[in-house]
Amino acid sequence: MPDNRWMTVPSPDAELMALIDRIGHRDEAALRLLYDRTSPKLMGLAMRVVRQREWAEDVLQEAFLTVWRVAGDYRSSLSPPLAWLGLIVRSRALDLLRRRTADRAQLTQEFDELMADTLESDAPNPADTADASEQAWALHQCLSQLEGRQREVVSLAYLREMSHGELAEQLKLPLGTVKTWIRRGLEKLRVCMGRFA
Amino acid sequence: MNLIAHPELLELLAASHALGTLRGGARRRFEALAREQAPVRAAALVWQGRLASMTELQPSVVPDPAVWTRIRNMIDAEQAKIAIERQRDAANARDDDRSRQPRQGGWLRSLALWRGATAAGALATVLAVTVGLNLRDQLHNAPAVQYVAVLNDDKDAASMLVTFDPKKKQLVLQRVGGFKESDDKSLQLWALPPGGAPRSLGVLDNAPGLRLAASESDVHAVPTLAVTLEAKGGVPPGSGPKGPVVFKGALIEKTI
Repeated sequence: MPDNRWMTVPSPDAELMALIDRIGHRDEAALRLLYDRTSPKLMGLAMRVVRQREWAEDVLQEAFLTVWRVAGDYRSSLSPPLAWLGLIVRSRALDLLRRRTADRAQLTQEFDELMADTLESDAPNPADTADASEQAWALHQCLSQLEGRQREVVSLAYLREMSHGELAEQLKLPLGTVKTWIRRGLEKLRVCMGRFA
Repeated sequence: MNLIAHPELLELLAASHALGTLRGGARRRFEALAREQAPVRAAALVWQGRLASMTELQPSVVPDPAVWTRIRNMIDAEQAKIAIERQRDAANARDDDRSRQPRQGGWLRSLALWRGATAAGALATVLAVTVGLNLRDQLHNAPAVQYVAVLNDDKDAASMLVTFDPKKKQLVLQRVGGFKESDDKSLQLWALPPGGAPRSLGVLDNAPGLRLAASESDVHAVPTLAVTLEAKGGVPPGSGPKGPVVFKGALIEKTI
């Protein structure tokens, strides 16, 4: 194990899980506490997927309404709490992108510009691992081993559910380069994550 | 191919599947194998879990405080709807035990009305927040506005603006539509607390603007306001509404 942080710092998961359980019993105060604890993190995720503050706030709102309705099902998902919340936010964010893309087919140019990312080879790994699950922390360690642009391509593929072709188009990279980066990135993740299994 | 005999390839396929970059026929073949073979399914689930953590690793951004207000307003409206449905179900169950006599105040249990009120409420939440924001400048010189409601008529046209001023402890009502009650009728404003009976907030005269004394407890945790058309002077104190609802809308707490 390259680091033993997870052994020395108590996991915040238990606290978040207790809040989600209370929300499942229609406890509005618990929803407020969960919001206070997780909304900056989840807003950051929503921003990363939809790239616009106003849209990200709509996503956050829909995600917390979803949490209010489905919190009772959380336990059966077997996910770490923050990852479960993250999946809800990502799903709502992708829904919004699909709606917006359909709404504004004629404005795709503007949309592409909005979504375009600039990849920098020395992009720092900006992860904020506060409150992250052990699993997220392992993934963070493994992603850190990737070169900045590879990490960015792998992250965007997942967070925005983008194909090789869509990534190549949006990031203005040759298709072959995108495919190679993703293949190498996943190969490194496979080896690295295997050590945490 | 027997994927289980090629563990590295299996892991890479499972990782690409979870990442979302495994597409088309390759994706379908992998999913078919996963359904048949537990080790393939296990690898797919392991990688789904691992990559799901990507959602936990993004840099934080603090959302605007209005987002929480919107969430709370929508949840309050949803809770009110559930409470009202429960109350209606209970009332229907009681009615089944009795003879079916028409009862006064039956509009309260009208399903269509409440469904409409809920839909209108959701829309009005959005509208009232927007209106509330636009009104911010106009109301800048007003002492304080803590609650805002836009009451709509049955055609969803805005008919009355209601604001609550916590400093002066009064509700300020402004007629914004062309509605005019006849001389032998009065409009009466009601708070509809979730799960409780309507509470009168006062009877309106026919002036375009009107102030009614009210305390915060009269409007706190009240998701909906309604205006009924009653006999001149309103219903006797303590009595519930007798006339039809003419306007209704969501009451929104303003936090900015």
